[in-house]
Amino acid sequence: MELTQPHSHNPASEIARQKRAEVVGGGHSFGSMTDKIAAIVLTSKTPIGWFAGFGLAFTLMALGLGSIGALLFLGTGVWGVNVPVGWGFAIINFVWWIGIGHAGTLISAILLLLRQQWRMSISRFAEAMTLFAVACALLFPILHTGRPWLAAYWLLPYPNTMALMPQFRSPLLWDVFAVSTYGTVSLLFWYVGLIPDFGNLRDKAKGFARYIYGFLSLGWRGSAIHWHRYETASLLLAGLATPLVLSVHTVVSFDFSVSVIPGWHATIFPPYFVAGAIYSGFAMVLTIAIPLRKFYGLEDFITMRHLQNMAKVMLATGLIVAYGYAMEAFYGWYSANQYERYMIWNRMTGPYWWAYAALIFCNGLMPQTLWFKKLRSNVSFLFFMSIIVNIGMWLERFVIVVTSLHRDFLPSSWGMYVPTVFDWALFVGTIGLFSTLLFLFIRFLPMIAIFEMRTILPATKEPSPEGTAVQS
Amino acid sequence: MTAYTPTPEVAAYLDSKRQRALIIGVLGLAACAAGFFMDSAQFYRSWLVAFIFWFGIALGGLAITMLNHVTGGAWGVMARRITESAAGNLPLMAVFFLPVVFGMQSLYEWTHADVVAKDPILQQKAPYLNTTFFYIRAAIYFGIWLFLLRLVRGWSLAQDREGAEPYHTRLQRVSAGGLLLYVLTLSFASTDWLMSLEPHWFSTIYGIMMLGSQGVTVFALIILTLTGLLRFKPISEIVTSVHLHDLGKLQFAFVMLWAYFNFSQYLIIWSGNLAEEVPWYVNRTQGGWQIIAVGLLFLNFIVPFAVLLSRNVKRNPGRVRPVVTLLFVMQIIYIFWLAAPAFSHGGPPHFSVHWLDLAAQLGVGGIFMWMFYSQLKSQPLLPQHEPYLEEAIHHGRHH
Repeated sequence: MELTQPHSHNPASEIARQKRAEVVGGGHSFGSMTDKIAAIVLTSKTPIGWFAGFGLAFTLMALGLGSIGALLFLGTGVWGVNVPVGWGFAIINFVWWIGIGHAGTLISAILLLLRQQWRMSISRFAEAMTLFAVACALLFPILHTGRPWLAAYWLLPYPNTMALMPQFRSPLLWDVFAVSTYGTVSLLFWYVGLIPDFGNLRDKAKGFARYIYGFLSLGWRGSAIHWHRYETASLLLAGLATPLVLSVHTVVSFDFSVSVIPGWHATIFPPYFVAGAIYSGFAMVLTIAIPLRKFYGLEDFITMRHLQNMAKVMLATGLIVAYGYAMEAFYGWYSANQYERYMIWNRMTGPYWWAYAALIFCNGLMPQTLWFKKLRSNVSFLFFMSIIVNIGMWLERFVIVVTSLHRDFLPSSWGMYVPTVFDWALFVGTIGLFSTLLFLFIRFLPMIAIFEMRTILPATKEPSPEGTAVQS
Repeated sequence: MTAYTPTPEVAAYLDSKRQRALIIGVLGLAACAAGFFMDSAQFYRSWLVAFIFWFGIALGGLAITMLNHVTGGAWGVMARRITESAAGNLPLMAVFFLPVVFGMQSLYEWTHADVVAKDPILQQKAPYLNTTFFYIRAAIYFGIWLFLLRLVRGWSLAQDREGAEPYHTRLQRVSAGGLLLYVLTLSFASTDWLMSLEPHWFSTIYGIMMLGSQGVTVFALIILTLTGLLRFKPISEIVTSVHLHDLGKLQFAFVMLWAYFNFSQYLIIWSGNLAEEVPWYVNRTQGGWQIIAVGLLFLNFIVPFAVLLSRNVKRNPGRVRPVVTLLFVMQIIYIFWLAAPAFSHGGPPHFSVHWLDLAAQLGVGGIFMWMFYSQLKSQPLLPQHEPYLEEAIHHGRHH
C-alpha cells in the first residue's frame, strides 16, 4: 500500500491548485506592495476625484445636520411617526446601519479564526466601515430620545438617589450594552490592527505627519516581542469579537420579537436577522471595494477572487434571508391565528404591497443571479447587485417595522406611515456622514493592511519556481 | 483495490462492530415487536422518537457531505466516507418511516375527524394537516433525499474509480442546490412529523433547531468513528491531531448553534407569554420534565462548551471521545424531550419513560449502525481521487 506524498504532481491535486486562484496578483514584492498602498496616504497630491467625492459626502452630511437642527429645535413631531406607527425611520435606519457593520466583524474575526487568507486585503476598510456604520446607527436611538444630551442619563443604568433604573427586561436596554460593546471591540480591533502600519508610515512620512503617525504607532518598533504580543492580542480580540457577530443582531432582533406584535413575534428572527446583517454588510463592502480598487488601481490586492468570494457569501446569506421570508409566510398561514394570517396577507396585498414586492425582488429573486459564475465574475454586475441588496435590506426593515404596526389589532387604530422630508434628510445625512468618514479614512490611513498582505505574498510562502532568493 | 480500501485489520474491527450492532438491533426490534402487541400506542410513540433521532443522522450526514463539497476543508475530506455512510442509511430510514405512517391515527390528533370537527383552528389548518397531503409530502421529501443521495454518493464513488473530473465539479454544483433543498425539506418534514404532534403550536425557528441538532449528532458520530479507526493504518498515518482539532472546533460550533437556536425560541416564547405558544414550554418544564430541560442545558451545552474550549481536549482522541459520546446521548434525550411531552394530550405534564423507548432506540439504532459499518467497510476509507485529499493530508502534517 502506498501513500500519496504531499506535493507530488498528481492530476487530482493539480485541479485543486487551479481552483485556488492567488489572493495577490501582479507579481508584487514586499517593497512594491508597501509603496503602492502607503503612497495613497503619503502623497502630497490629493486626487481631484477625492475632493469631489468628499465634497458631495460632506454636503449630504450637512443636510443631515440641518435635519437634526430642525428636530432639536422643533421636536420629534417633525418626523412622520405617530400612533400606530410609533417606530419609523429611526429604528429602520438604526437596524440597517448596524447590520451593515457586521461584515467587518465577520471578515476580521471569524475569517481570521478560519484562517481565510482572502480576508486580509479587505479586512482593514471593512473594519473601518463597521465603525462608521455603528456611528451612523447610534445617531438614531440617541436622537429619538428627543434630548440627546440627556440620553446617557436615560439609557445607562447607574445607582442614583431617585432609585430609578432602566427596565432590565427590555431588549432596548440590552441593545445599549450589545451595541456599545460591539462599538468598543470593533474600535480596538481596528486600532490594534493599524499599529504596525502606523509604525511603517511613521518611518516613511516626512514633516508633521511623521509626528502624528509616530504618536499613533504607540512606540511600535517591530521587534519580535512586539509581534508576539500583537499576534496574541489579535487572536484574543478575534475570539471576543466572534460572539458579537451573532449577539448584536440577535439582540436587535429581540427588539421586535420579544413583543407580541404579529409580524414581529417570530422565533426565526434571531438567526434570520444575523444572516441579513452579514448579507447587507458584504453588499456594502462590495459597494465600497469595487470603486476603490478601480480608482486607486488596487486590482492586484482586491482580486476577482475576493469579489467572487464576497458574492458567494451574499448568495448564501441571501438564501437564508429568503428562507426567513418563506417561513414567516408559511407559519403566518399555518398558525391559523387571525392576526398572524391577516398580517402576512396585508404585507403582501395591503397598502404597502409595493414595499414587500420590491423586497422579494431585491432579496429573493435578484440574489439568485449569483448562482452563475459568469455574473459573479462581472464587476459591473456585482456593483449593481450590491446596490440592489443595500436597497433590499433597507426595505426589509421598512416592511417589518411599518406593515406590522400600521394595522393595529383593532381597525379603529389603523393608520398609515409617511416619512417626512426631515426623515429623509436625516437618513441621507447619515449616508453623507458615513461617506465623509470613509473618504477621510482612505486619505489618511492605509486602507489595506500592509504588513498582513506581506505574509501572503507568494515570496513569503515558498521559494519562487526559478529558485531565486526572496526579495525584500 | 485502492490505497485506502480497508485493510484486513480494519475490516475485522468493523466486522466486530457490525456484529454487535446487528445483535443489538435484532434484539431491539424483537422487543419492539413484542411491545407493539402489548401497547401499540406506546410503540408508535417510542418508535417516532427513535426514528426522528436516527433519521437525523442519516439526513444530517447527507447535509454535512454536501456542505463539505461546497466549502471545502480538510476536515470534510477525512470525514467524507463517514458522513456518506450515514447518509447511505436514508433508504433504510424510508422503511423505518412506515410504522409512523401506520401509527398516524395514534400519534397525531389532527387525523381524527371528530377532533377536527370540534376544533376551528384545526379546521383552518386542514388544507395542510390532512392524511393524504401528509403522505404526498413524505413521498416528496424522501424522493428528494434519495435522489440527492444517489447523486452525491454515486459520483463520489465514481470519482474513486475514475478520477476527479467531471465528478468533482458535478458534486460541488449539486451540493449547493442540495443544501437549499435540505433546509426546506427538513423544515417542512419536522413540522409534519414533530411539530404537528401539538397541532395548535407553531414556531418559525423549528426547522433550524432540527438542523442544529443534526449537526451536533453528525459531528459526534464523525469524531467517534474516526478516533475508533485511528488505531489502524492508513488512518493512523493520515489523520492527525490537526484534523481532530478542526472537527472538534466544528463540533463546538454546532453545540453553540444548537444552544443559540433553542435559547432564541425559549426567550421569544417566554417573553411573549401567549396562550397559544407557552403550553409547549409548560409541558416541557413541569411534571418532572424540568429535570430533563435543565439536564439538557447543562449536559448538552454548558459542560461540553466548557470542556471543548480546551485545545488539548479537541486534539486528544482519548479526551474528546467522552465529550462527544455525552453529546450523542444528550441529543437522543433532546429529541425525546421535543416529542414525548406532546403525548400528555392536554392532561397535566408528567414525565415517564417506557421500556419501549429504550427498545426502539436499540432496534432502530442497532440496525442503523450495522448498515453504517457495512457501508464504511465496503469502500475506500478516504476519497482516493479527491482533488483536495493531498492538501488535506498535508494540512495535518504541519502547524
